[in-house]
Amino acid sequence: MIRFDNVGLRYGLGPEVLKDVDFHLLPGSFHFLTGPSGAGKTSLLRMLFMSLKPTRGQIHLFGQYCADLPSAERADLRRRIGIVFQDFRLLDHLTTWENVALPLRVFGNSEASYRDDVTDLLKWVGLGDRMTAYPEVLSGGEKQRAAIARAVIGKPELLLADEPTGNVDPNMANRLLRLFIELNRLGTSVIIATHDFQLMEQCDAPRLVLHEGRLEIR
Amino acid sequence: MPRVWSYMRVDLKFGDISGRWVDGLKTSPWLALIGSLINGPLRGKRRPGSAPIVQPASVAGRALTVVIAIMGFLACLTSGAVFMVSQSADEWFADISSEITVQVSPAEDNEIEKKVTLVSLFLAKQSGIVKVSPLSEEESGELLEPWLGDSDALSALPVPRLIAIEIDRESPPDLAVIRRSLESNFRGVAVDDHRRWKTELRTVTRSMVIGGFFVLVLVGAATVASIVSATKSAMASNREIIEVLHFVGARERFIAHEFEKHFLTIGIRAGLVGALGATFVFLMLPVVMRILSGGGLAAAEFKQFVGTAILGWPGYLLFGVVVIVIAVLCMVTSRFGVYRILKSYN
Repeated sequence: MIRFDNVGLRYGLGPEVLKDVDFHLLPGSFHFLTGPSGAGKTSLLRMLFMSLKPTRGQIHLFGQYCADLPSAERADLRRRIGIVFQDFRLLDHLTTWENVALPLRVFGNSEASYRDDVTDLLKWVGLGDRMTAYPEVLSGGEKQRAAIARAVIGKPELLLADEPTGNVDPNMANRLLRLFIELNRLGTSVIIATHDFQLMEQCDAPRLVLHEGRLEIR
Repeated sequence: MPRVWSYMRVDLKFGDISGRWVDGLKTSPWLALIGSLINGPLRGKRRPGSAPIVQPASVAGRALTVVIAIMGFLACLTSGAVFMVSQSADEWFADISSEITVQVSPAEDNEIEKKVTLVSLFLAKQSGIVKVSPLSEEESGELLEPWLGDSDALSALPVPRLIAIEIDRESPPDLAVIRRSLESNFRGVAVDDHRRWKTELRTVTRSMVIGGFFVLVLVGAATVASIVSATKSAMASNREIIEVLHFVGARERFIAHEFEKHFLTIGIRAGLVGALGATFVFLMLPVVMRILSGGGLAAAEFKQFVGTAILGWPGYLLFGVVVIVIAVLCMVTSRFGVYRILKSYN
């Protein structure tokens, strides 16, 4: 599903932040991506999401070589990936319901075709009574769940989450982890970037550990 | 409240000021209309789930609307003024082109009245001449009054007599033939076709129109620069929306289209506000001119000098062109802005 071959990344003329990254992830897998701050976790996630090009090496996503793909095809590949940002990136002028429905709307689906799905998903993540609320009045945990709901509403084959528990208390972090595990059971491959060891200890999943720009699978 | 106002948004804040006048303002449909033109429809009244993807009323969007409305107003004002000058110049030129003057020198035998009558009769028979108006001795003298004053000495002078002739602009007479005929039939008769005066007037009016166009080009350039710059600023504040749309899998064309729609609406709305403002100014101009000129003879002279100050309908059509140009400019700038931001992600 995801294959990195000898991937390296540098910003401008600076030193390589990622060196010789090699890994192969199978469909339906669950991984933590970890390492100290500044180790390159977000950069790796951005490459997985095709918003950053490697300076060397090859990346294959869903069996397709990503370099030099036309923008429309890259957009199509992105539709198969859900991403949860550390800072949520919810649009302030849209309600929770509208934020979650956004991917389906940009896919060109009619509102009638996804109205019930969005409502059900919001209820499932515990935001049934916050559907008409705007992000500015949501708590950190609610925003995080809304962001996760938006990432999974399009039934992605791969879910990327960047520090999804960074802004929530331990109790909420556990609930969110259970949510990711549940999604994984439903068939979605999951990669969670985190440096929260407590969180990782609660789930027996392989870890992609970044250290000094190199990746090791433990 | 009429239904048409019910969905319009009025963001005007009146603070704690109270009173019947202010209450009247609050409920004024005209303020509701202006408010809706600037702010767009109410956020709360839309169908659930149908919110525009691009934020309809952001601070940057409102600032952009105000900038566009002001620049649109100035552009319409300038284009209207240039059109009006050009229109007046054409009218002046047409007026002077439709008249010639025949000068009859005083005759030695003191029978100038007879000579004027004969020349007038001769001219009236010529084709292409609509009206022949011989000026009396007093009228000819009045023309010299500004230079010689009102004195009896004037009557002692051999003042030539003038015959004003209005020619048919559609089929003008052959002036060379008329000139030759007059010279062969009468002594001391000269035809003045105002050629020198026309040349000078043409130079003046052309200079005015060219000057006006130069000002229009400057205002146009300032309008374009302001709108492009303000749209870019507004686009920068929408960067997060572009980013999110990009990350949820929207195609570039979809994102560009959403922003084009948004900025086209802003451009049309703000451009219309500017054009309406300029229309109001031009509609009020004849009234202001009438008040300034004081009425009566002075008003007539003032009107002759500066024209009617009425903008013809082609002038108002120009405002429509200005609005279209502004709207297209906003749309195209936003499109380039979207692609520039997306390029940084690819």
